[in-house]
Amino acid sequence: MNVSHHLTDETLQDYACGSLAASMETLVACHLTVCAHCRLRSEAADQVGGVLLASAEKSAMRTSAGDVLAIRAARKPAVDPQPDAPTLQPGIPRPLARLLPKPVSQLDWRRVAPGIKQYDLGSEPRGKGAFKLLHLAPGLVLSDHSHIDRELTYVVQGCYTDEIGTFSTGDIADLDGNHAHRPVVSADAPCIALIATQSPVRYSGFFGRVMQRFVGI
Amino acid sequence: MCTTELSNADVVTRTDKPSADRTLTRAPDPAAAELRKTMGDALVAVGKHRDEQAFALVFDYYAGRIKSFLMGKAMNEDTAEELTQEIMLTVWRRAESYDPKKAAASTWLFTIARNRRIDYLRGNSRIEVELDDEILEVETTENDPQARYVADSQSAATLEAALAKLPQEQRQVMHLSYFRGQSHGAIAKWLNLPVGTVKSRIRLAMQSVRKELQGETDALDRDDFLDSD
Ligand SMILES: [Zn+2]
Repeated sequence: MNVSHHLTDETLQDYACGSLAASMETLVACHLTVCAHCRLRSEAADQVGGVLLASAEKSAMRTSAGDVLAIRAARKPAVDPQPDAPTLQPGIPRPLARLLPKPVSQLDWRRVAPGIKQYDLGSEPRGKGAFKLLHLAPGLVLSDHSHIDRELTYVVQGCYTDEIGTFSTGDIADLDGNHAHRPVVSADAPCIALIATQSPVRYSGFFGRVMQRFVGI
Repeated sequence: MCTTELSNADVVTRTDKPSADRTLTRAPDPAAAELRKTMGDALVAVGKHRDEQAFALVFDYYAGRIKSFLMGKAMNEDTAEELTQEIMLTVWRRAESYDPKKAAASTWLFTIARNRRIDYLRGNSRIEVELDDEILEVETTENDPQARYVADSQSAATLEAALAKLPQEQRQVMHLSYFRGQSHGAIAKWLNLPVGTVKSRIRLAMQSVRKELQGETDALDRDDFLDSD
């Protein structure tokens, strides 16, 4: 996979410190699956956490190591839960594949606007903010809009092009601030994109605004 | 007590707004290096031999610090105490999987504590990359200059020195991120700063850290194109 659009430092740091919603973590983990470069940057962010932990001020503990081992001895041995065997979905990173009941082509897509279908992943307990797969028709042109809140987009299949460049399978658009965009889906194939937005009430991000305009979410 | 200067001074209150840039420089700390080795060896001994004395070493150094880390995100003391016990039990149980060639003890402990904090506060687990995923991208690792530091036993020391050299305003943002578990947006609100300012502090800090880890002077240029949005 030839990945060319990566996660920003601030998103990687938010991921390392545990301040992202599960939906956003899913997108980050998808990109980390296909991008060794960002995985290394993510490991560096964890190392920073380790150094900060090692140099932190100590709070007084009421329990000792011996107490903890005694608690352990009194309990049934704990077993770390093993995740279920993943659904095999060629080309789909497991953090996403685990959320899909069937292959992407057979999902119960809901048509929400001309050329746009969606599959909602935002059910509890994952959901604050939007979290969905979008199926965009070949050649679809989305109108101008800008980013205000945080939104992550992971390209699952196909590609689209905007002023920043071409986003293909594995790429992540980790953009906010004020960007004017006019994304165009490649003419030869549909584009399937996973999006997550930060807030449940405002959809001001990349695809979010488009969705809002079309379907009033 | 063996700590770096990154500790108390970085606990921030509303009245403790960042002052002018202040750069700390310091010589490598031999006591810190000794500590890293002690903790790494101790985790290995727990994993291999169920060594209770080695566990006590790790507990005595880290339990109180993990408790501070948990209380950083508005967790009350009783809860933090209990959760720290659970985390230390997890450390005991999983020590077998600790590989000193892959991670410093501090990194390993941090990820366990962080993940447990997420479980507790959110009620579901952190979503992580699965390293046995069929489509895991591994090829570029060898060609990536950042790959060099991952297996490097010196990296924790280098990183510590790099963090100590950061300007105070960048260290403050790092501390708020990791200890309070705040997103960069929340930090901006907390410090009453534009989001862009907080983002640029995080980027500068992470770039400095990576540059030190890579030991390459051109690292900043190399990373610029990645984050150029
Ligand atoms: Zn990447």
